[in-house]
Amino acid sequence: MSRDCVSLKIPKKADFISLARLATSGIAYTMSLNVENIEDIKVSIGEACLNSLMLGHEDTISLSFEIFRDKLSMEISGVKEMIPEELEERKERELGLLIIKSLMDEVNFSKEGVKMIKYIEDDN
Amino acid sequence: MSLNITVNYDENENKWVFIPEGEIDIYTSSKLKKEILNNFEENKADIIIDGKKLNYIDSTGLGALISILKRLKENEYKIYLSNIKPNIRKIFDITELDKLFIIRGEDSE
Repeated sequence: MSRDCVSLKIPKKADFISLARLATSGIAYTMSLNVENIEDIKVSIGEACLNSLMLGHEDTISLSFEIFRDKLSMEISGVKEMIPEELEERKERELGLLIIKSLMDEVNFSKEGVKMIKYIEDDN
Repeated sequence: MSLNITVNYDENENKWVFIPEGEIDIYTSSKLKKEILNNFEENKADIIIDGKKLNYIDSTGLGALISILKRLKENEYKIYLSNIKPNIRKIFDITELDKLFIIRGEDSE
């Protein structure tokens, strides 16, 4: 199946998460998605980046987008499903994971990070 | 990543009214928490957060709201959310925080 790919690498700093959200909205917008889907994708990317910022080990966060006719697939590096017990913001990180799992159609964690998929309905 | 907060005190209702404009995220959530709690400590009263100009909130923003709620509850004051946009209402719904906060204009009040 034909697809277009977009990659983005940001420093692991709070200042750049809004840039990742903005870029993601732009990608979703070019796919002509409806406002609700664009919001869902933007919020999920924001939460994935927060998770990576707080739990990832690299100095950067890599985001790669694969744009298909019927879905958007996104991989974000450094995202962890297991949140350390001792983490002060544990509750917030759990909320972040809950939001991602609720808004995305598929969420798969690996040792590299997370892969999230949003399927596109025909009514977009 | 910008947030402006308008602060008013409603003399009729005897409540603080905060209108956050923009985004409550990792970059701005501590500013919101500080602004609200400083005013509350100065003059203890119930609080309304008017969401008419709020476009985005992330999990750190939710965390800030939860800690504000805790502080108010210790003092037996309430926190109301009003005019929340549908995209933000959805986040409260998913996280079940709509059960913790009083959302104005809905049955939970």
